[in-house]
Amino acid sequence: MTRMNRRTLISASAVLAVAALTAATVPAQAAEVGVTSSEIKLGMTLPMTGTASPGYNKIPGAMKAYFDYLNANGGVNGRKITLKVEDDQYVPTQAVAKTNKLILQDKVMALISPLGTANNKAVAASVNPARRGVPVLFVNTGFSGFADTKKYPTTYTILPSYIMEAKIMAEYIKDNFAGKTLGLVYQDDDFGTDALKGFASAGINFAVKVPYASGSQSAATAAGWVTKLSAAKADVVILFGVSSATAAGLGTAAALKYAPQWILGSVGGDATTIKAAGVPAGVLYNAVGASFAPATTDMTDEYVKLFSDIYAKAVPGSAFDNNVLIGMNSAFVAAQAIKAAGTNPTRKSLMAAIESKGASFASAALLPLNYSKTSHVGYNGYWFGKYSPAGDLKPVDGKYVLYTTDSGSGAVVKSTWKRPAMPAKGLPQ
Amino acid sequence: MRISSTKSRFLAVISATALVATVVIATPARAAAVGPICDKKVPVQTCQGTTSDGAPYVMMVPANFNGTVAMYSHGYRYNIDLPAGMLPSVPAGYKVTNTPEPIPGGNPTIANYFLGNGMAIMGSGFSRQGWNLDAAVATNVELVGAFKTAFPTTKKVLAWGSSLGGIITQTLAEKYPTLVDAVAPLCMADNIGPELTAAGDVLWGIKTFFDPTIKGGNYSPGAAGNAEAIGDIVKVLTVLGSLKNSVSTGAWPATSSATGKALEAAGVPSRSALLLVGLMAGLPTQSDHFDSISGPDGALKLTFPLAVSPALAVLENAASAAVLAILATQDVELQVGGAVYDNTKTDYSARVEDSAVIYNAALSGNTAIAAMLGALNPANPGAPRAKGNPDAMAKMSKMAATTAKINVPTIMMTGVADPITPAGATQRVIDAYAAQLVAERDAAIAAAKKSREYKAPTKKLVVLWSVTPKAYTTFDSAGSPITTTPAAPGTNHCTFTTANYLTVAKMMVSAGTTGKFPTGGAIATAARKSGGLSVDKNFRAPLLKYYNEQ
Repeated sequence: MTRMNRRTLISASAVLAVAALTAATVPAQAAEVGVTSSEIKLGMTLPMTGTASPGYNKIPGAMKAYFDYLNANGGVNGRKITLKVEDDQYVPTQAVAKTNKLILQDKVMALISPLGTANNKAVAASVNPARRGVPVLFVNTGFSGFADTKKYPTTYTILPSYIMEAKIMAEYIKDNFAGKTLGLVYQDDDFGTDALKGFASAGINFAVKVPYASGSQSAATAAGWVTKLSAAKADVVILFGVSSATAAGLGTAAALKYAPQWILGSVGGDATTIKAAGVPAGVLYNAVGASFAPATTDMTDEYVKLFSDIYAKAVPGSAFDNNVLIGMNSAFVAAQAIKAAGTNPTRKSLMAAIESKGASFASAALLPLNYSKTSHVGYNGYWFGKYSPAGDLKPVDGKYVLYTTDSGSGAVVKSTWKRPAMPAKGLPQ
Repeated sequence: MRISSTKSRFLAVISATALVATVVIATPARAAAVGPICDKKVPVQTCQGTTSDGAPYVMMVPANFNGTVAMYSHGYRYNIDLPAGMLPSVPAGYKVTNTPEPIPGGNPTIANYFLGNGMAIMGSGFSRQGWNLDAAVATNVELVGAFKTAFPTTKKVLAWGSSLGGIITQTLAEKYPTLVDAVAPLCMADNIGPELTAAGDVLWGIKTFFDPTIKGGNYSPGAAGNAEAIGDIVKVLTVLGSLKNSVSTGAWPATSSATGKALEAAGVPSRSALLLVGLMAGLPTQSDHFDSISGPDGALKLTFPLAVSPALAVLENAASAAVLAILATQDVELQVGGAVYDNTKTDYSARVEDSAVIYNAALSGNTAIAAMLGALNPANPGAPRAKGNPDAMAKMSKMAATTAKINVPTIMMTGVADPITPAGATQRVIDAYAAQLVAERDAAIAAAKKSREYKAPTKKLVVLWSVTPKAYTTFDSAGSPITTTPAAPGTNHCTFTTANYLTVAKMMVSAGTTGKFPTGGAIATAARKSGGLSVDKNFRAPLLKYYNEQ
């Protein structure tokens, strides 16, 4: 038994008082997992290899490029940010094993940008970062469920939800393709279910809906999609899946001479990934795409200019695309969150900082962040554009028209928000 | 493992055969206790006897007995004979036995640890096999008394046991906390209701999808029931063999129900249906040889772990669990007089809400999942639910059970992917103890307000998780998974190494002697050195599905 009588309590109080005095006179010492006096360690899981990896496997390099830039400029309160990356191959059980490694072995302060709906759900159920008090920053999935602060209290979304995307896409369809026969190809999991919810709530009816199981996307399975879509005479087809599915769908359709008006979901709409998979830029030409960030070719945008310069120096020869921009942006937002968490950041102070100050964090996106004590929602809207002959997504008529909504029954409305100027040198202030 | 000369001396006299001694003293039930009768040998004497309910026991006591005895309770033994050639694990068949087992599996190294350090060991074979929690606890109480009478210098009694023996040990410590000084329930079974619910869910799922002639419960009394149970074992193993052969094609067994055949026609692979059954029942998705992580080099590197491996893991686990599921169901039905499995109110959709997302690809996507769950809906006459006998269920609910209260220093060790006694049984104890500790602290604070002296409650529970390796599925040069290697740590049932057992034994002895555990760091070090064990306090195993409906 541990006994503590009154005298012991008095002695303990005296020790604490001395300790407090001492603490005030010596440099602060970090006492949080993953935080030392010189380093803050973050960790991420995503598919670096395997079917789903193309495109997404550029995100860690992009994030590291920004963190290296930040570290070269003094880091955050003198600490360098390091990023541990684990390849989960888009397999949920792998994500569990690799996340366990990051938390227990690498001892990261927080998880950042873990990718995939099923993977994040598996990690939440098996590793349980919330129970461990580990922040899960800016998950790379738009599954609306992750904004549930009761179920995922330490998780923060950043992408607009798939429900939001579908609702906004539905408005675009109504405005531009009224009366057309619609087809939908979607990933047959919670990713796709969110999209179905959004389209349903917006009153969109599809002549044909083609689900595909995650991981099954290939030229062979895409031939089956095309058969169903063409049989239904769909003349506008939405591809709401990962980039490898988009590439399989577009490439196979082109080979089979099936050429509807394509609308690409944001997750699978990265042009460089699609082109890298062998789809000619011409196939992408005139397809409709969506983004919440500025076009990656828009060098008039100060974020695009800075981030592309940083990336070009860090990863020479690698195309600056949407995955890169989003990755660097998430790193930039994370840096601000760590800065806002105080001179000796802890997991708790990091999450508190996002909830109290996150809505004012600067970012490259053309929509605001929506963090608060009751909201873990990041962005909430999109603009639509078309792919150029070179395969670059650009706003129609060169002007960004942003639409915003929620994951519930809220209306889709035009956004009037104006992005503030970028902080000096793109560093947290 | 290095063995000292003193210990070697004990090894020379204690063989594995002796430790699962052929001590069977035939005594009618409820006769007077017999023995112990000791052979007086040196350096270790063996004493044999029976308790008043006819349970044979053996005690092994070193000449330098230091006053500590460790009592072991063995796991579940089938309560009916099984013919030769039926089960690969027992090709010569199985005969019901009540041979005493004073040490896990008769392991001489573990016995030598106790005996070589002056401690005695003992164990009973119990008076009846099958689910015998009530009787076994009574036997153990009597056995402790018999030992103390025979060896009056006894100061400390330790109790440990595996599987069913784990819950026997935990129940003993709950009901008779002054009788034991420290306990170690290993790969502990949950209470009979949750265990048979899991067993019933597996059997009902296999029956409903793949072979409607499987009874899956509600067996007849007597020899007819034995034959029905044995028939079920053959059918279930046949179905699992068929499913294994069609993993790649997704074809359904020829014996499949109309419901199953309709799903097959809709393009749902049989492996996805089997996986759903496993998830509904709470079977682990890692097994002896399938980690649900690894894939062979080449085209299947990703798709194998994503789409196939979880189903193969469930298949392997179902094969391990099926025989016990059937025979335990039949045994308990006999004890309580009717069917005890009832899924008339089970919401299988709710049960797989999270896991259907995680294993979405292996379940072939939401469309297939919806089709399968729709087929299992109570409204589908092609998937009739099982209805239990209310009187029998009421009787079962009155059988001995644990409340998970921790009275004495307790060490638990459990495989995280054990398909027979799921890790969730241990998790239930952890959860209950967390609440107990809060209450004890509150009580201590309240007491301190009066006495001005705070006595912090002593930590009484240590849990060692036997974890699976990071990746362990291996493949031959053709890319086929290899299934002839030993089961991976953390999988199958009570797959512990001798080093693991010794780690537990040493902790139990220490805690029994001092009344407390060493520091967390020392425990973590011991676990690490033991190999394959983790003391991660934040690891959380899912509770058995039974608790979803409570």
